[in-house]
Amino acid sequence: MTIKATLGLALSLTALSIAAPACAADLVLYDALDFAGPVAKAFEAKTGLTVDVVEPGSTGETLGKIAAEGGNPQFDIVWLDGSAVMERMAADHVLQPVPAEAYDKIAWTDLGKSLIPQSHAFLPTGTSTTAIEVNTKKVKADKMPKSWADLQGFAGSVAAKDPNLSGPAYQWLAGLFQTNGVEAGKELLARTLTNKSISGLSSGGKVNKAVLTGDASVGINQDSAIFSKIAAGEPVVAVYPSEGSVSLPQGLGISARTQHMDAAKKFIEFVTSADGQAAMQNGDDTDFFYIPVIKGVKPKPGRETSIAYTHLDDKVASAHETEWKQWYKDKFVQ
Amino acid sequence: MVQKFDAAAGGIGASGWALRRLPALARLGGPLAVYAVFALLIGLPLALVLLQAVMPGLFAADGAQALLSAEPLVRTLSSPAVAGSIQHSLELGLLAAFTTTVLGGAFAILVQRCDIPLRGAISLVPWLVFLTPSYLKALAWVLLMSSGGYLAQLGLLPPSLGASFFGLAGLVFVHTLSLFPLAAFIIGSALAGLGAELEDAARLSGAGPLRIWLRVNGPLLAPAIVLSFIATFAEVLSDFGLASTIARMSSFGVLTYGIYAAASDYPVDFPAAGAQALVLLALVLLVVVADRLLRRRADPHLISGRARPARRYQLGAWRWLVFAMALLVAFLALILPLGAIAARALTSTLGHGLEPGNFTLVNLDAALSLDTPANDGLMRSLFYAGLTAIIASTLALLLSARLDRSSAVMRTAVLGLSLGAVAIPGIVLGFGYILVWNRLPGFRDWPFPHYGDGSLLVMGYVAAALPYCLVVILSAIGQLAPSLTDAARLSGVGAIRRLISVTLPLILLSVVTAFLLTFIRTVFELPMSQMLIPQSGPPAPTLILKLFSHDRDGLACAMALAAMAAAGGAAALIWYPLKRIIAFGRPEGIPAASGEPS
Repeated sequence: MTIKATLGLALSLTALSIAAPACAADLVLYDALDFAGPVAKAFEAKTGLTVDVVEPGSTGETLGKIAAEGGNPQFDIVWLDGSAVMERMAADHVLQPVPAEAYDKIAWTDLGKSLIPQSHAFLPTGTSTTAIEVNTKKVKADKMPKSWADLQGFAGSVAAKDPNLSGPAYQWLAGLFQTNGVEAGKELLARTLTNKSISGLSSGGKVNKAVLTGDASVGINQDSAIFSKIAAGEPVVAVYPSEGSVSLPQGLGISARTQHMDAAKKFIEFVTSADGQAAMQNGDDTDFFYIPVIKGVKPKPGRETSIAYTHLDDKVASAHETEWKQWYKDKFVQ
Repeated sequence: MVQKFDAAAGGIGASGWALRRLPALARLGGPLAVYAVFALLIGLPLALVLLQAVMPGLFAADGAQALLSAEPLVRTLSSPAVAGSIQHSLELGLLAAFTTTVLGGAFAILVQRCDIPLRGAISLVPWLVFLTPSYLKALAWVLLMSSGGYLAQLGLLPPSLGASFFGLAGLVFVHTLSLFPLAAFIIGSALAGLGAELEDAARLSGAGPLRIWLRVNGPLLAPAIVLSFIATFAEVLSDFGLASTIARMSSFGVLTYGIYAAASDYPVDFPAAGAQALVLLALVLLVVVADRLLRRRADPHLISGRARPARRYQLGAWRWLVFAMALLVAFLALILPLGAIAARALTSTLGHGLEPGNFTLVNLDAALSLDTPANDGLMRSLFYAGLTAIIASTLALLLSARLDRSSAVMRTAVLGLSLGAVAIPGIVLGFGYILVWNRLPGFRDWPFPHYGDGSLLVMGYVAAALPYCLVVILSAIGQLAPSLTDAARLSGVGAIRRLISVTLPLILLSVVTAFLLTFIRTVFELPMSQMLIPQSGPPAPTLILKLFSHDRDGLACAMALAAMAAAGGAAALIWYPLKRIIAFGRPEGIPAASGEPS
């Protein structure tokens, strides 16, 4: 074979092999939720539409990718934990409002209704909250903490997420300041989070790890992560603080630039249907243990739902976000 | 095969093929095309990220503004946290580069020049260590050293040691064990090229071994030693695997983590990420330039047509001590971390540790079954990695051949840029790629490569791997005596044929080394895989990381084990037959051009 022919052949084969898988799907979904893959699969089986599921990693990494894409977003649908960040994306016109009729079709529970944003930036598909994760090998049954305030008894051995890196962690911090008072809350944390090596963790997985390896006896963590560990047989329990817990909704948003609005609507319809909700529970990882927000849908066995919620004042929380995050970073990170 | 290499390189840049028809243009166009590829792969994406340190409004959500502002730089540099990170990064980088170069150099010398038992098996150790990605090693050491970890569960870890591990000491320890292969490859390939003539001459003149190493081999190896120091320094500075685990748990903030934190939110704090990336790059460039200023002597050209292999030292009884030390390194760098990962892969929970009832095969089964997402990801990664390795090693070969003959300034500039690229965390380069290929008019609508396709991911992988390939091939090509190609040139042989028929055979093992390094690293490359994840499906590293961040480290460890076995097996399948062919094709005893396993 001549050089020319080999060259041409190699080049075209290379080009072909890379370009081949690039056929466009009906929907592109960006997410950081355990159940998104199984749900997309069930959706494909039911409707015949194809979904490309893109999962860069954690919520932060997915957000970073969306931010880098800026005004030229490549997704049709985004599905993440956290309401505030969805509102910010809607305000930047990265997301468009979810059509009103999509909400009207759904039989919301009271909890579900309370999570629907006025801006329609996202559609809540489920929720979770923050609880105290306790290692039962390290803490005896009669020594269990019952409130955020009790955590100071475990000073130096409390694992927590950095609100600068975790949306849910910021909602917990703002919720704590709301229920315990800002100054009292700050003093409480200063007395409790005395070990910087475990008070600024980047993910719920790391809080789990700290509690399971014994670096911490208790952790402040998303409750669905704790139930997933309990189901896996790990020696931990979830304790809900007596002050009340703030809800952390999972939201589904629609890209402002989507060319596939019909498919997106069908996806929302499927997710909120009985089949979709069943797919959302078809696994044992953290996010499968969500709290349902649709009437008639039961949570996974073992998942606690009788929780005393407090409603977070979003205005106060977002007004102080930069200030409180910085305060946390200065005090408990590095 | 060679033509195929060429095709891949031509396919990425301007068409080198068309240019070859016009000899006059080709002389100018050749190097220009290569430099253009380099600028496109690394220069432009990097520039877009760094530019944001001084033009914070460049990619603002509410309309781009090209206004210059020193505010983000001042804000970033005046922050005590960033100042602390810079200090930490420097301390860690310098210390770990020193210990890594010492360990890697010693390892290369012992394995190549001493008659230690099981030499073949031991020379495989650096490769196997290199096979394990840093984020897995970091996780393994966390599993081992944390207060409730495996070593503590086995009663082998005094609490004081566990506590001091999570700090500078532990970071230097893990970095050294994890990066010594890089130093061993660089110094080893220079060592292989030394041959025996100079040493024999010194010995005939009455010099003892110590004197030979201090006065002959030492100075001849100095460029490789310095290169190893700089490369490991850059590598430590850009590391994210340890930065996000051990460093994070020790409150030892480093620059890469600062960049990650600034880049992992909506909206991204681009100015802060850009400013910290700028600091990182400046630190590495400073070291490269300082090296060039201090060491003006030209690098020695050692491989001539007359090279003879060096003699191995007979150590006598001492060889058992050396052997034990090599085994200790292998145990700490490889067996212990892999053991921790295997233990985690084979147990269902972390909290119950190594209790008998806790063992399970569920994770391995899930990772190895065909037609699972995990298996698909693995196959995808092996394909992308193979393609990347072909393109990157060919590009590096072409570039090295050009650079070897160009001015010292150009050589320094490109070496500096590529080492700078090593130091730029992949996440920054990944961001740059998104900015170029999804935001910049012209690139945005270009069909191939295209953001969201596998093509751009491969391009990103090539950019991440090119600096390594350059370091490996440049150090081999730098040793060739110019007389070899001069002879061909004077006989009227063209540049491309000279490269293929004269240079390539002499450094083929180095090129294959670069190919395999790239292949293995790419199978596990994380940041590019995350940022440029193709819509058609994720590669293995993204899946492994997702499993970790979603707290399924048992399955993640099982997948990582499978990926290591697959990548290692594929590499061995390429390496050993090729080695046999080369050994067959040349008289026995011509030194291999690099620190490959024998």
